Parts: sequence; C-alpha cells; structure tokens
Amino acid sequence: MNDKTDNKAIADPNFHSNPNFHSNLNFHSKLFQSKLRKNTRLDGVIVFKIVTLSVALVAFGYYTPRFTNDYSMMIMNVSLINFIAALGLSVMLGMGGQLSFAAVSFMGVGAYFVANLTNGRLGVIWEPVPALAGAVMFAAFTAWICGSVLFRLSGTYFTFATIGLVQVTWSVYLNYRVLCGGPDGVSGIPVIRFLGMSPRSYHDWFYILLGFVLVAGFLVERVRKSRLGRSLASIRDNEIAAQTLGVNIYRTKIIAFTIAGALSGLSGGLYAMHSQFISSDLFTFDMATTYVIMTMLGGVNNTIGVFVGSILVTMLPEWLRPVQRYLKLSYGVGVILLMIFMPMGLAGLGNAMLKKASRKLSKNSRVKPDADVLE
Amino acid sequence: MQGLKILLQPNVFMQLTINGVAMGMIYTLMAMGLILLIRAIGVMNFAQGELLMLGAFITWGLTYQVKLPFVLMVPAAMLCFALVGVIFMFVVYWPLRTASYPTATVISTMGAAMVIREIATITWGSLPLVSAPLIKGVIRVGSLRLQYQYLLTIVIGAVLIFLVFVLFEKLYAGKIMQAAAQDKYAAELLGIPTILTTAVTYIIVVTLASIGGYMIAPVFLVNVTLGTLQLRAFAGVVTGGFGSVKGAIVGSLVIGLVESYSSTFTTTYKDAVVFLVLIVVLLFRPQGLFGERVADKA
Repeated sequence: MNDKTDNKAIADPNFHSNPNFHSNLNFHSKLFQSKLRKNTRLDGVIVFKIVTLSVALVAFGYYTPRFTNDYSMMIMNVSLINFIAALGLSVMLGMGGQLSFAAVSFMGVGAYFVANLTNGRLGVIWEPVPALAGAVMFAAFTAWICGSVLFRLSGTYFTFATIGLVQVTWSVYLNYRVLCGGPDGVSGIPVIRFLGMSPRSYHDWFYILLGFVLVAGFLVERVRKSRLGRSLASIRDNEIAAQTLGVNIYRTKIIAFTIAGALSGLSGGLYAMHSQFISSDLFTFDMATTYVIMTMLGGVNNTIGVFVGSILVTMLPEWLRPVQRYLKLSYGVGVILLMIFMPMGLAGLGNAMLKKASRKLSKNSRVKPDADVLE
Repeated sequence: MQGLKILLQPNVFMQLTINGVAMGMIYTLMAMGLILLIRAIGVMNFAQGELLMLGAFITWGLTYQVKLPFVLMVPAAMLCFALVGVIFMFVVYWPLRTASYPTATVISTMGAAMVIREIATITWGSLPLVSAPLIKGVIRVGSLRLQYQYLLTIVIGAVLIFLVFVLFEKLYAGKIMQAAAQDKYAAELLGIPTILTTAVTYIIVVTLASIGGYMIAPVFLVNVTLGTLQLRAFAGVVTGGFGSVKGAIVGSLVIGLVESYSSTFTTTYKDAVVFLVLIVVLLFRPQGLFGERVADKA
C-alpha cells in the first residue's frame, strides 16, 4: 500500500462514507493480504520452532549418552537437575522481575525430605516416587508459607530477606543432626524406582531426568502463556499500573513463589536420589548466586535459554579442566562481559538475530519487530 | 536460660559488648560503602565483602611481602585502594550505566566478586595468612580482658564514620557529590563532573571496606573466605534502613551486638540468629529502623 492512501485514511474521519470508497478497495484488500501474510509468517515461525526444538531434543537425547562416559553423564544429569531449579528462578525473575535467592533453600527442603523418608533414618521407608511427590508438595507448602511472609516486602528488601532465608536454612542444614545429619550430610538414599524398575546407570538416569525436564519446561511455558504469566509480566513491568488494572500483586507473587518452590523441591529431591548423598555444601549462598547466573546467562525469560545456561554453567568446569587455575576467573570475567554486551543473555542474542533474519527474509514487511525488553 | 545467666554476668556482658561493637564497626565500614553506592548509582554492590578481603590482602602484601614500614605502608595502601576503586568503577559500573535491565548491574557485581576472589587466590594462594595485630596484647580492667585490636577497631571505625559525616554534611565537595548522586542529569547541567564524583565515591567505598579488612585481618586471618562477611553488612544495611547512612551505622552495630550476644546461647546457629533478626526486623518494620523509602533499581 502506498503512503498516500494511508494518510488519507487517518486524516479523514468519514473515510468509509466517502463516495470514492470503491476506489480505495484496493487498499483494503492489500491490508487484508498483509494481515494474512503476517499470520502465516507467524505460523511458519511457530512450526519452525517446534520442528527445530524436537529435532534438537531428539538429537540431544540420542547422541549425548552415546558420546559421553559415565562421569560426564553424571555431570550432564546434574545440569538437567539444575535446569529444573533454574526454571523456578526464571518464573520469579524473568516473568515476575523478583530477584530471589531462595531456590537453594527449597531444594534443600525437597532433598532432605526425600533423603529422610526413603533411607529409613526416621523409622519409615517410603517408596521413592511417593517420597518425591511428597517432597514437591512439602517444598511448595514451605514456599507458600515463606512467600506469604516475605512478600510483605518488595523489591530489594525482598531480595535481602531471601538472602536471610538462605543463610538460616543453610545454617540449619549444616548443624541440625536429627534430620540433616549435621556436617556429615545424609547418605544411603535409594535411587528412584517405579513399577519395580530402577535406573542402573547414569545413562538410564539421563532419560528419566529428560522426562522430568520436559514436563517442567512444558508446565513453565504454559504458565508463561496463562493469565498468571501475564499478571506476573505486568507486575514486572510496572507494579503500580498492574495494581490499577486489578492484578492482585501479593497473591500473584506468592503463587509464583510457590511454583518456584515446587520446582526447586523437585530438583532437590531428584538430586538426592541421583547422587544418593546430600550435604549442606549444596545449599549455600554461593550456590544461590550460581543459580541466578545460570538463569541470567541463558536469557532470563526464555525456557530454552535457561536450559542452555544451566548446561553451560554446570559443564564449564569440566570442559575447561586443563585451565582449571583460571577457570573461575574467566567465568567471572565472562559474566561481567555478558551483562555488558547482552544483558538478556544468550536467548536475547538469539532473538535479536532471529528478528534480524526474519526482517531480511520478508522483503516488504513493514511490521516493525516488537521492541520488547524481555522477550 | 543457661545462656542468659552467662550473658548477664557483668564482665562477660562487657566483653561481648566490646567485641560486638568492634565487629559492628567492621560491618559499618562495609555498610556505609553500600549506602554510598546505592545513593550514587542506585544499585547494590555484591562485591563489597570481596573488596574488604582485597584490602586485607593488599595490606598484608605491603607489610610482609614488600616489607614496608607502617609509615610508608599506609600511603602506599591508600594509593592501591584508590586504584582498585577506579578500576572497579570503570569495569563494573561505567559500561552498564545505561543498561536497560537493572538486574544486569547487580549480576555484574557478582561477577566482579568472583573475579576479585580468584585474583586473590591466584596471587596469594588459598591458605590463610597470619597478620600480626597493630598493637599486641590485652588490656586488663578488673577481671576484664580486652584485646587492643578490638579497641583500636572501634576507635578507627568511629574516626572514619566521623570523617564520612564531615565530608558529606559539612564540606562543599560532599555537597557536590550528593547532588551528583541524587540527580545526575541536573548535576551535569550545573557543570558538576559526575564522572569524577562517581569515581571519588568508588574510591571512598573501596577505602572504607579495605580498612575494615586491615583491621579484621589479625582476628580472622587473611583469607579468601573473608568475603562472606558482606552478608552481615547487607543485614546491617537492611536492618537500619536503606536510605540513610545513620541507619546503616546503627543497623550494623545491632547486627554485631546480636552476633556477639548470641554466642552465649548457641555457637552453631550464630548465622541463623543474625538473619532471623534481620527477617523479624523486616517483617515488623519493612523500611528498617531508620528507614526512608528510596527508589530502588534492583
């Protein structure tokens, strides 16, 4: 369409009752076409995304166990477990804009729950699967209680309260002998068992964890598209505006915190069964910052980005073993550089490139890509 | 109850109070830096504890490796602190000042913390290093045994707090810095060189934290784990209230005293007690004891 008709349509309020209406039919049909084209292009993008994702997933699931030895497989499994916890953080930070360090606290809740109920320390022996489900529910419940207390604070105050929570829970995990084994940790946790089957090696574990990862990722994607996700995004973008529009801020935040807690609990429970030993080292403030970095590295509001981020951060020490001495140094430098050059993480970079490519591909696309900050 | 009985013995109480105030002074030095940075750039600095640790290492290196006498060591250390401050500013803050996503700045300070810790580990190794106290020995008052190091920490902390107050409340330069911190744009219109004031703020922050590191070195040994003390400084800042330097001082002293007193009740859960206090204070007075609401970026 040319710009003259466009201007006329805007300038003339009686445009449709204009006697020359039929001469503008061309304009309407073109408008319709362009809309149609945009829709099909979007559909194309979605199909493209789904196909790429499934191919990548199948390739990842098929090739990773074949080219890795037992040890690397274990690290890979840990990175999948980390991804589940980082997903919870992406619900809090990416969708809701609330920086929370509490993921490790609820991981600990889940892990010690599974550990104590399955290894018979307390006189009861649960089946692993019900114990895992219980751990998720218990972690979610704990998160709900903590959330309803902590969300009386907002912004930075909330962040600091979560740091306090991490310190308190870490101190308990380190010192409370009855449930947490004190500094020795808890050992002798049985592996997961379902219908009489249990994984025999880390390679078997890989597929089980991949299943959990898929379910968790799918759930979080659903949350993002749902009413809750939109409420969270509105809180992130402008809390006061969200409140004016009728979003119950306190309740929404608590629900997000509970979801994050449930995911962390699941991750902690899986970790306990996977490595069969847990100790308080896993739930320190340093680990909490590592989770935040994982989430930020991949792209804070992008599930695939968080996936890449958690794999990168967990695997990096293994890949860079030859330069171990300078590993953490380069890691820190990398974090700073990343924040300077692409604060939206790898996913932000990918999205920008994708948009550029699609702009080039659609020659006369006049639709300017959305200038979304976070997506 | 046993703990309370021990705590209420007068000389135990006095001893713990002195120790608590001394530790509180160290937290205050970090907390004041945090507040100054919040005022100047509006972002929490997660590398504050690492700056303290670096200060301890630099002074140790100058004293025991370069073997400078105390009189020369002090100016040399000051020079190093200023250099660290300027480098820190240009690496962590300057490229990010226009970042569209404020959490990015916080994450980059976490990255900086990691870098500083690793540089210290690579340069000085991960074993704890022993540093002699400035004045050795203890002073006896009745049945009290007070270490000179603690008393000195209190004195030096008080002097530094006084100097910061004089700078920001009384001197013209401090007013300029405050103006630049409150509204960068307006300050630039008035011809205030904000880059200079920000750099000076960073230098002051690093110097305060580093002196804290120097004072604490004989007590805790010079060690990379000194960085974890920053969590107490955070607790102090939040307890006192974000906006005010006064609040940071009182909050940090409260945290130091709570930590000290709680040692008669429990030694294992000392961390938990401090942070429980923090959470309780936040719940009943979310703006902190001396709180004034400030617009927070992160």
